[in-house]
Amino acid sequence: MKRMGIVTLFVITMVFLFFQFGFAEKQEIERKTVRKTVIIFHAGSLSVPFEEMEKRFEENHPGIDIQREAGGSTKCARKIADLGKPCDIMASADYKVIDKLLIPDYADWNIRFATNQLVLCFTDTSRHAEEVNTQNWHEILREPGIVWGHSDPNLDPCGYRSLMVLQLAEKYYGIPGLYDELIANRPSENVRPKSVDLISLLQTGNMDYAWEYRSVGVQHGLRFVTLPDEINLGSYRFDDLYDTAVVKVAGKEPDTFMEIRGKSVTYGITLINDAPNPDDAVLFLNYLLDPDGGLAVLESMGQPPFVPARVPSGDMANMLPDTLKSLIEVRQ
Amino acid sequence: MRTRELFFWVMISSGIVIMAFILLPMIQLMTAPSFSMLGKTIKDADVLRAIWLSVYTSGLAALIAFVLGTPLAYLLSRAKFRGKGIIESVIDLPIVIPHPVVGIAILSIAGRNHWVGRVLAELGIRIMGSVTGIVTVLTFVGLPFYINAAREGFESVPPRLERVSRSLGASMVSTFFRITFPLAGRSILAGGVMCLARAVSEFGAVVIIAYHPMIAPVMIYERFEAYGLKYSQPVAFWLVLLCLVLFLVLRMLTLYRKRGR
Repeated sequence: MKRMGIVTLFVITMVFLFFQFGFAEKQEIERKTVRKTVIIFHAGSLSVPFEEMEKRFEENHPGIDIQREAGGSTKCARKIADLGKPCDIMASADYKVIDKLLIPDYADWNIRFATNQLVLCFTDTSRHAEEVNTQNWHEILREPGIVWGHSDPNLDPCGYRSLMVLQLAEKYYGIPGLYDELIANRPSENVRPKSVDLISLLQTGNMDYAWEYRSVGVQHGLRFVTLPDEINLGSYRFDDLYDTAVVKVAGKEPDTFMEIRGKSVTYGITLINDAPNPDDAVLFLNYLLDPDGGLAVLESMGQPPFVPARVPSGDMANMLPDTLKSLIEVRQ
Repeated sequence: MRTRELFFWVMISSGIVIMAFILLPMIQLMTAPSFSMLGKTIKDADVLRAIWLSVYTSGLAALIAFVLGTPLAYLLSRAKFRGKGIIESVIDLPIVIPHPVVGIAILSIAGRNHWVGRVLAELGIRIMGSVTGIVTVLTFVGLPFYINAAREGFESVPPRLERVSRSLGASMVSTFFRITFPLAGRSILAGGVMCLARAVSEFGAVVIIAYHPMIAPVMIYERFEAYGLKYSQPVAFWLVLLCLVLFLVLRMLTLYRKRGR
C-alpha cells in the first residue's frame, strides 16, 4: 500500500509538472505575440545611452521589447559568429570589429554613428587626486606604488586604445622611453577584461587611476583628466597622427598576433543578416539614427554623435534598408 | 511485484534522463577538440600554469576550510544555544549569493576606502590581482560545503562514546582526536572534496578579484573571448580531465576507508 502511495504521488507530481510546463509555454507564446523582441548586443561603453534609448523607444512602441546584452565588442561579435546566438543588432565600440568579424558572412553594412575619447579616470581617494593634470599625469603613473590599469587589449578595444594613448604621449610630451617606463609600473594584475570592470576597483579604493572612455567617466560620475586631442584618439582630424601608434594584440589563434593601428574612436552598428526580427530592428535603428532621437541621447551622455551617421561607400549605402537611407550620408 | 514494477521503471527512466542530461554536453566538450590541439594545449606553459594555479589555490582553500572549519563544525554539532540557527544560515550565505557579488563584496573591504583594506595594506597584503585574493575568494565560496559535511559527520558520532572516553580519564582534546575525529573522518574527507570541487569550479567571483594571475576557468573565458570556442575547449578538456582523475582518486580513498572499517 505504501508503495502504491509513492507511485501515485510521483504520477501526480509528473502530471502537475507537465501541465505547468504546458502553461508556461503557452504564456511564453502569448508574450511573444503580444510583445516582439529585438535583441541588441552592444559594447559595454554604450550601456547607459542604450538603456535610455530602450526606455524612450519602448514608450513609443509598446509592442516591442528591446533586449540588450552588453559585453566587450569582440566578445559580442564572437557570440554571433562562433556561438550562433540569435541577435538582431550589433553595436561595437570599434567599427572595425564589425568589418573584421561579421562582414560579409553575418552582416552587410556598417554605420558609424558616434565618437568618444580616452580619459584618465580617478576618484577623490586616489593618490595625488588634487594635483593630477594634463601636464603631470604621466609622472604620477610612473610613481612606484601608484596602482593604475587598463582593460585587456586582446578582448576590449578600450584596452589597446589605452596603450595607443601612452605611445602617442611619448611623442607628444617628447619623453623617449615613456611608454616602457609606464608599462613597467603597471603589473599585469591591474589589467581587467573590460574597461568598466576597472570602475569598481576605483570606487572601492583598490586602484588609483584607470583608462576609460570619456562617456564612461561622465556616466559613472568619476573625475577624469582630459588629454590633448593629439593623443586622446577623439578627433578624426588627427587620424594620421593616431595611425603612428601600433599595438600588437592576439590574432586568430594563441601565439599569433596582429597589429592594430591607432584611429579615432568610432562606434559602428549593423543589422545581423539572419536577425530573428529584422523589421522591428530597423524600426529601432530609425530611432537610434534620428538626430532628435538616439543621437541626441548620445550627445547628452558624453558620446558626441555623427549627425548624420555615415557609411564609407555608395555601394554600402545601397545595401541599407530603405528607411535608413535618408538618415545616412556617404563619407570616408 | 506488480506494483513495484511501475516504480522500478520510473526510477530507471528518470535515471536515464539525468545521465543523458549531464553526460551529453560533457561528451561533446571532451570529444570536440582534436588530438593535435590537445597536445599543443598541454605543452602550453600558460595553460599548465593556469591549471596548476587552479588546483593549488583550491587545495589551499580546502585546507584552510579544514583547519578553521573543523572546530566550528564540531561546536555546531554538539552545542545548543540561542541563535544557533542564525549562525547556521550565515554559514550557508556564500552558497546563496551570486558569484560576482562575492567578488565585489570582498573587493570593497580590501580597498583603501575600508579600514580592513588599510590594515591589510599596512601588513603588505594585497587582495586585488594576487594569489592571496584568489585563495580568499575560493575559501569564501567553499567553506559552507566543508562545514556542513563535517557537522553532519560529527552529529553521526554518538556523544555517548565521547562520554565513555571522558569517564575513562581522557581529556577533551584526546577524546576529540582519538574518538570523534576518526569516526567522522569519512564525512570530513567528503566535505574537503566538496569544498575543493566548489573552489575549482569558481569563476564569477575570481574574475572580479583577479584576472591575472589566471586560474584555469578564467583562462578558458579569456581564450574563448580572444580566440573563440576552438581554443577554449582544449583547456576545458584538460581541466575537466584533471578534476575527474582527482575526484576519482579521492572517491576511491573514501570507499576504501569505508570497506576497511
